[in-house]
Amino acid sequence: MNSALLPMFWPFCIFVLMILVIGFYCILVTYNLIRALIGVELLMKAATLLLILVGYITGQTALAQSLVITLIVVEVVVMVVAAGIILRIYSHTDSVDVRDLLKLKDKDKTNA
Amino acid sequence: MFSLLIFVPLFIVMLINMPFGGIRKSAYILAFLLALAQIVFTLLAFFTPLSPLSSGRQDILGNFFNFRIGVDNLTLVLLFCIGLTLLVTLLTGREVVVDQRQRFNFVNLLVIAMAGLNGIVLAQDIFTMYVFLEIAAVASYILISFQKGILALEAAFKYLILSAAASVLMLSAIALLVLVSGDTSFAIISQALRDGSGGFPVKLALGLFVCGFAIKGGIIPFHGWLPDAYTEAPAPVSIFLAGIVTKTLGLYTLIRVVTVLFGQAAYISQILLVMGILSVVFGAWMALTQNDFKRMLAYSSISQVGYIILGLACGPGWGLAGAILHILNHTVFKSLLFVNSAAVETKTGTRNMDQLAGLSDRMPVTSFTSIIASLSAAGVPPLAGFWSKLLIIIGLWQAGFKLVAVIAVLASIITLGYLLSIQRRVFWGKLGSELLNVKEAKGGIMISAVLLAAIAIGVGLAFPFIPAAMLNSLSSLLGG
Repeated sequence: MNSALLPMFWPFCIFVLMILVIGFYCILVTYNLIRALIGVELLMKAATLLLILVGYITGQTALAQSLVITLIVVEVVVMVVAAGIILRIYSHTDSVDVRDLLKLKDKDKTNA
Repeated sequence: MFSLLIFVPLFIVMLINMPFGGIRKSAYILAFLLALAQIVFTLLAFFTPLSPLSSGRQDILGNFFNFRIGVDNLTLVLLFCIGLTLLVTLLTGREVVVDQRQRFNFVNLLVIAMAGLNGIVLAQDIFTMYVFLEIAAVASYILISFQKGILALEAAFKYLILSAAASVLMLSAIALLVLVSGDTSFAIISQALRDGSGGFPVKLALGLFVCGFAIKGGIIPFHGWLPDAYTEAPAPVSIFLAGIVTKTLGLYTLIRVVTVLFGQAAYISQILLVMGILSVVFGAWMALTQNDFKRMLAYSSISQVGYIILGLACGPGWGLAGAILHILNHTVFKSLLFVNSAAVETKTGTRNMDQLAGLSDRMPVTSFTSIIASLSAAGVPPLAGFWSKLLIIIGLWQAGFKLVAVIAVLASIITLGYLLSIQRRVFWGKLGSELLNVKEAKGGIMISAVLLAAIAIGVGLAFPFIPAAMLNSLSSLLGG
């Protein structure tokens, strides 16, 4: 580990934290399925940035690059599946609004 | 040659998608043989002596792909559970998924998920583990929703979003571990964690891991997606999810990373204890109020997973051995209960327990096997579930968590309560007039129910003859 760079880790981390907070906020407040997906994408970007940052700080740039490229591929797969699910939901309900779903949420209440 | 367990499923997926005539028709048979082969292979490996974590064994394919894998007794237990659950899922899927095209997709996704699960269990590198975890998770999102019902789609989307959040937490933790140790392999990380004093990044990473795995494993307070996904998934997929997916994604990873890699600190035990007891009590409580057969089983799953977490909280010793055994037993009895629910659903067309009654005359095998599974789940001797719960409670008592041990025993009475209420409402009582034409489920469902019931009884009866050394080896190598 390059100890000279270590004090820089936490200040840089602020940016990662900001993206994380924006991502979580985006997922929590929106009623739009696609916006929720964009929120997830933001979260993944924060994680990617953190990995790059760690690679830079520790001097393991080769390792960080290989991890990040793998991560991007994984992320694409998840997003494609999510987009497919949203398309199917749209073909059922003609909307991408969460409030048109929420059928499962009431199940516990009606049973109780 | 354990890397074959990852490569052969991937190869088979490629093979059955080749554009040759006729190969598509043999997809089901190939997957079935694959599951059988995994069970046989694992049993053979279990009864031949293995040194702990023999990652240095000759593994030509693994060396070729520069791929670190390791095998210990915990891995073997999980591999056996994966093979068994896959077998049962395929047998049930044959009766439930009748459309040829859908069945082909179903088999494909199952085999991909199997490769992912085997990879998680065998990986000796935290990032490799993450990638396989994502493979298994993506396959299960599609498996939940492949019949394209709107409720299933909603459940799959919920699972996907929460699971992606869990992935982000895990990735951040992995990044912090790379910061501390400079590498992603378990050996180097564990060395660095032992040498270092365990500063703030390590504690943060640990917390992020616990949250991430708790979401994946559906542990309270992160359980939001689990009842929906289990209920709305097609019947065989519910078996697969409850039987193995959440266990490998959440619990195995929790054991491997938190207990083995970090070495269990006292404060982690406290956190696990709180999450475990919440899951046990709240899961059982919610299960009591359900009318939907599968939803009740889903909440029961949360409750049973809570017992496994309680076992983990005790640390190395009887508690951990009990937790690992309870993973095996829970795979057996919860798969069996979901097989029974699949039988009832396909034959009567409903899962609502208010519309069902008195099926025990019409479906004697289903009724009998579900009683076996319920008693095993509630921990009634001499069935298998009794022994693992006994070990967990002994572990809790020895570790000094006496109040928790008492609550765990009392919660087991609630377990018996709701499981017997399934028996009473579905199988006992007077047969309704609209159910007169119901027949016993045939073929695959029957075979898998009988198989699982035999395992539940067999493990329970054979347990007192298992040498204590074997149980010790289950837990001690994890502590080291």
